[in-house]
Amino acid sequence: MRRLVVEGEKCAGCRQCEMVCSFHRAGVFSPLLSRITVIKDDERGFDYPVSCRQCEECPPAEACPTGALSRDETGIVHVDVEGCAGCGACVDSCPFGAVKLDKETRPIICDLCGGDPACVSRCPTHAITFVESGFFDEKPSDALQRLMGRWGIDG
Amino acid sequence: MGEWYGYTGRVLRINLTDRSTRTQELDRSAAQMFLGGRGLNSRSLYEEVRAGANPLGPENKVFIATGPLVGTMFPTASRFNISAKSPQTGILGDSNAGGHFAPEMKFAGYDQIIIEGRSREPVYIHISDGEVELRDAGYITGRDVYERDRLIKSDIGDRGVQTLIAGPAAENGVGFAGVFANLMRAASRTGMGTVLASKGVRALAVRGTGSIEVADPGRFEELVLEIEEEIRGHEQYWPRRRMGTTRILMMADRAGFLPTRHYTSGTFERAEEVSGERLAEEFNVKGRGCFACTIPCSRFYVVREGPFAGLYGEGPEYEALGSFTSRVGNGDLCLALKANDMCNRLGLDILTTGECISWAMELHERGMLSREEADGIDLSWGNGDAILALIDKIAHREGFGDLLADGSRAAAEKLGRGLELTMQVKGLDIIMADPQGLKGFGLGYAVASRGGDHLRSEPFMELSDDPELGLRMFGVPEATLRLADSGKGRLVSYFEDWNAVIDALEPCKNIMQNMEILTFERASEVIEAATGLRMTPTEVRVVGERIINVERAFNAREGITRKDDRLPRRFLEEPLEHGASRGTSTTPRGDGTRKRGTRRPRR
Repeated sequence: MRRLVVEGEKCAGCRQCEMVCSFHRAGVFSPLLSRITVIKDDERGFDYPVSCRQCEECPPAEACPTGALSRDETGIVHVDVEGCAGCGACVDSCPFGAVKLDKETRPIICDLCGGDPACVSRCPTHAITFVESGFFDEKPSDALQRLMGRWGIDG
Repeated sequence: MGEWYGYTGRVLRINLTDRSTRTQELDRSAAQMFLGGRGLNSRSLYEEVRAGANPLGPENKVFIATGPLVGTMFPTASRFNISAKSPQTGILGDSNAGGHFAPEMKFAGYDQIIIEGRSREPVYIHISDGEVELRDAGYITGRDVYERDRLIKSDIGDRGVQTLIAGPAAENGVGFAGVFANLMRAASRTGMGTVLASKGVRALAVRGTGSIEVADPGRFEELVLEIEEEIRGHEQYWPRRRMGTTRILMMADRAGFLPTRHYTSGTFERAEEVSGERLAEEFNVKGRGCFACTIPCSRFYVVREGPFAGLYGEGPEYEALGSFTSRVGNGDLCLALKANDMCNRLGLDILTTGECISWAMELHERGMLSREEADGIDLSWGNGDAILALIDKIAHREGFGDLLADGSRAAAEKLGRGLELTMQVKGLDIIMADPQGLKGFGLGYAVASRGGDHLRSEPFMELSDDPELGLRMFGVPEATLRLADSGKGRLVSYFEDWNAVIDALEPCKNIMQNMEILTFERASEVIEAATGLRMTPTEVRVVGERIINVERAFNAREGITRKDDRLPRRFLEEPLEHGASRGTSTTPRGDGTRKRGTRRPRR
């Protein structure tokens, strides 16, 4: 299937993906309402966009006490806002840190914009691509380790 | 509070003396007349800081404002302006930086933050949406900018908070200490960090969860897409992405206006060794960008070998690169990276630091300064150890560094010699472009409202050397010939107005002005789509002019007159001897230096 794949060596950390996402999905500009979030480390020059990976096993769906998170056959997570109790168990259980809560404490999770993710074409460095790929399992912390090694930065 | 588009419509006022805070609605007429950012700040400064105020007293105020495009997807809209009466120059002070602080301010709900009074104890200001807290900062005193950032983030327990930090140089009372966003995005001209520190404030830390709405989302998106495409197709796109502003160094050398050994030459024989090209090829590992940028032009570098192995960071930009290479006669690129890194960590302005060192080196070369007076430091051109030692001494106001720590003008006055050799206008040390090779820039330095500075006008069109452009734009073919004098009044006036508008809207000048993206016509359309405010392109330009006028009025009230609109003597009397700008000094009068007062009156 086609997945969002991120290349940490290309991401410049401009967060335009966050602006494009919240604009397309909520009609306003707000990092909180973006389904993609750039993790940043200014000291070490690290930037990495994080969003739902459509894992085979979805710990947030399993952790949800009300069953408000359901998954379709492609692994995309759908949120039943009415059924959500706003407990935040999904945030804590996502191994990629890809779930956030809005101000009403409802989860915000990337659903690939129904197959044409708005962030991809607007990424100025093509760090985010939407391509046929196996499961993309790199965690931000793995990417940080990898890049620090490649760039020769200790610590 | 009514509906606001583009703006948050709110101003946060913090009084440190009585530790009170209040939120006010943004004045709609101020938004219409000054737009935001630098415009809003300059108006506030004029209205709220009286003539003769002590820049380091509680009566001075710090204004931090961003613009109506910031916190949206408008390309490069990421910047804030910080203003106060300057301790370095004694007149209007301000500085501007990008990164991610300004959008966070918007998401927290503020277009402008006003800081008044003085705290007895060192504090940092924590703003989380509507909650404002003064937190103890005693434990970060003396720490460098990087350490402060780490400590504050760990104190708050949120690594995503955006900080704006004044470094140790600021609390040591160095006259030209800045504030730093994202560690390395410096708003460091005119000593705004020094003013903040004088109020007991070490830093701001902001987190916002709000949203920005625009007036006409459909039209706004159309304009954004059109502008992004224009930027990507521009001939400067790749050079900027690869080298950022450091691409200027070789251009300036070839054109013969690269300030070398304190402006005694316009070319540097080791320019290639310290060029943006070399930096890109040998040291850069990744591009980085400010918020919502289409050209991430900042670069992350790593030094792997030599005496500075293990050094890494973002930048430097051209002014830092040039300040610590050609300006001081240094051909060691890595040493310049180290000098830039030290200034960032200590919280110093690289331009004034570079000028102070360069000026001292010239005095030494001329036999006007003894080695004993310079704490035994060998001030020969290009001495790397001396450069690094002086940066440290300046930041700590130690020994000879204490003499230099208020800028070159103050240093010459204290020393009692060398004032005619200081490269400053109104106390602000000038930038890395010799105006003998750029006559319009020279006029810009002379009249700029914050002292010797290019960012008030930066009339890049004169670099085109295209007389037809000058005739078309300004009615004078020479206006766009860099070595000619005629027509520069019109050229600079146009660019001053344009830059003021960009500084008020707060996208990036490098792209919006230098690449001719956000013209007055387009700004008129963008302002309407984002904010709903309607103004014709001419009215947009008038906003720019109004901003400059209120700034000049502030300075006039402090006693500044046209007599102060003058360049250092060297540029008027000592033509360059070599390179492509040789033999053409700047004329002191005539159309080339026509003052603002001679322009046609507008409302």
